[in-house]
Amino acid sequence: MRRFITIFIMDFSNLFKNPVLVGYNTVFAGLLILILGYLCGGDYADSNTAYQYYTVSLVIYGMLNGAMTASNCFMERDIKRANLRIIYSPAGGFSVYFSKMAASFFFNYILHTLLLVILCPLLHVSLGSNPVFFILLMAPVEFAAAALGIFFCCVFHCEETTSTLLSTMISLLCFLGGTFFSLDGMGSVLAFATKISPVKWLNEAFFTLSCDNNLQYFWPVFISASVLSVLLTLGCGLFFRTEDYI
Amino acid sequence: MDNLMSVSNLKKSFKDNIVLKGISFEIRRGEVLCFLGPNGAGKSTTINILTAVLGSDEGEICFKGDKISKKLRNYKQSIGIVPQDIALYEELSAERNLRFFASLYGLYGTRLDDAVEEALIFAGLQDRRKDKVKTFSGGMKRRLNIACAIAHHPELVIMDEPTVGIDPQSRNHILASIKKLQNQGMTVIYTTHYMEEVEVISSRIIIMDHGTILAEGTKESLKEDIQNEKRYIIEVEENGTIGHDEFFAVEGVKSVKIDGNTFEITSLKGIENLDRIISLLSDHGEKIRNITSEAASLETVFLKLTGRKLRD
Repeated sequence: MRRFITIFIMDFSNLFKNPVLVGYNTVFAGLLILILGYLCGGDYADSNTAYQYYTVSLVIYGMLNGAMTASNCFMERDIKRANLRIIYSPAGGFSVYFSKMAASFFFNYILHTLLLVILCPLLHVSLGSNPVFFILLMAPVEFAAAALGIFFCCVFHCEETTSTLLSTMISLLCFLGGTFFSLDGMGSVLAFATKISPVKWLNEAFFTLSCDNNLQYFWPVFISASVLSVLLTLGCGLFFRTEDYI
Repeated sequence: MDNLMSVSNLKKSFKDNIVLKGISFEIRRGEVLCFLGPNGAGKSTTINILTAVLGSDEGEICFKGDKISKKLRNYKQSIGIVPQDIALYEELSAERNLRFFASLYGLYGTRLDDAVEEALIFAGLQDRRKDKVKTFSGGMKRRLNIACAIAHHPELVIMDEPTVGIDPQSRNHILASIKKLQNQGMTVIYTTHYMEEVEVISSRIIIMDHGTILAEGTKESLKEDIQNEKRYIIEVEENGTIGHDEFFAVEGVKSVKIDGNTFEITSLKGIENLDRIISLLSDHGEKIRNITSEAASLETVFLKLTGRKLRD
């Protein structure tokens, strides 16, 4: 356990030393919310509603993009070499991928929570009558995203391929889920595609929680994301090969 | 010296490419065993299997009598590995790197402090301990790369070309350090392209090519095999009609290799035949530009075994 904690602390601190990742999850995400909220203000009842929409939907987008933070933490060229030494050590393979998964989860979770803590009062965004539920629901989603990023790395053995696939997949699912703009009223095909996008259900869960104080989707999403996290972690164990680091 | 490790019938293929064709060897406690071979010989694959990062298709590796697959954790605890690439966190200081990697081997508290201090002295980086690795020269990084592998006092250190691309000063420092490690009782497996390094540090040598072991022994015993031979390298202005058979007519000539304007002639030692070889060339109207006579060296051993130079 001591070895795992040592590796975890190293992975966690390495993430915070990466200005691109910190900036992407804070400044970039914040600016995107501000810009889209401002530009699309006219499409909503008032500008506050636009900020409400884009804060929640883009935080979901950011959470899913946590998968790329994880893949970066796992196989980024410079880190990969140093990770080789961890593979050589008696720490074992599980410590390698699970510490990266856990580090990416905490990194994203902390930054996204921080983003909400700063933006919500500024933009008068509501996270529901009890924001704890909102923050709590973020946790399994963040973890599932981190597990997905590591799982893809284990399957494809390459950070570049993983990042390309993940960014395409996440962007497509978010587009279909109505993250950037609502697809309601855009025809039956898109309406169907929207329904099958898991992002749609994430949006439903977080929006009903923040706008309607409704916990209807809380447990289904919480449990689904948790189960997915466990399955992906088990999948990593199945596909992880130490020789990918050579 | 007793055996620390034994490797038997190690085989490895990557798809249709057979990289190791069933090699067997032993590593004796306290020795510096050098692997020599050109690119593609199978050295790195052997090393990767020995480090337990890569699995073999067939074969068995025993460390202190136990199969490493059965006591993998203990085995990993007992070895230190210096990979070919610099495997360090560039954004961290030398000390932080050492502290982190040594702690992965279960060191903490004063044992960790002492190990880090010792490793810093070993690498000659005490004065730069707080500096980030990214500010270091190539030689300093290489030294730290080695220090990270030995900080936990492993019984066996595996080094895969640790001196690639560094200045002579750092190379000498590393070679002296390896001798020091050996004097401290550590066993070292060392792969390299540099024959001169092998001459300096090796206790025993394994020469590999095309996934097989061509020869094994001390540098003296390997040279002994060709001790009764000498080699002439004769360069002429323009090679005309002279062929192999005409050289074999000269007493003592064992082999002839003609490469453009250069003749490489191996002859038995003790038979003075250089004058006759020169006469033969003169009779064929060849103008000699240069003649070199080579004594037995590892390079000639390697050349004899593989038919090519190490860095070809």
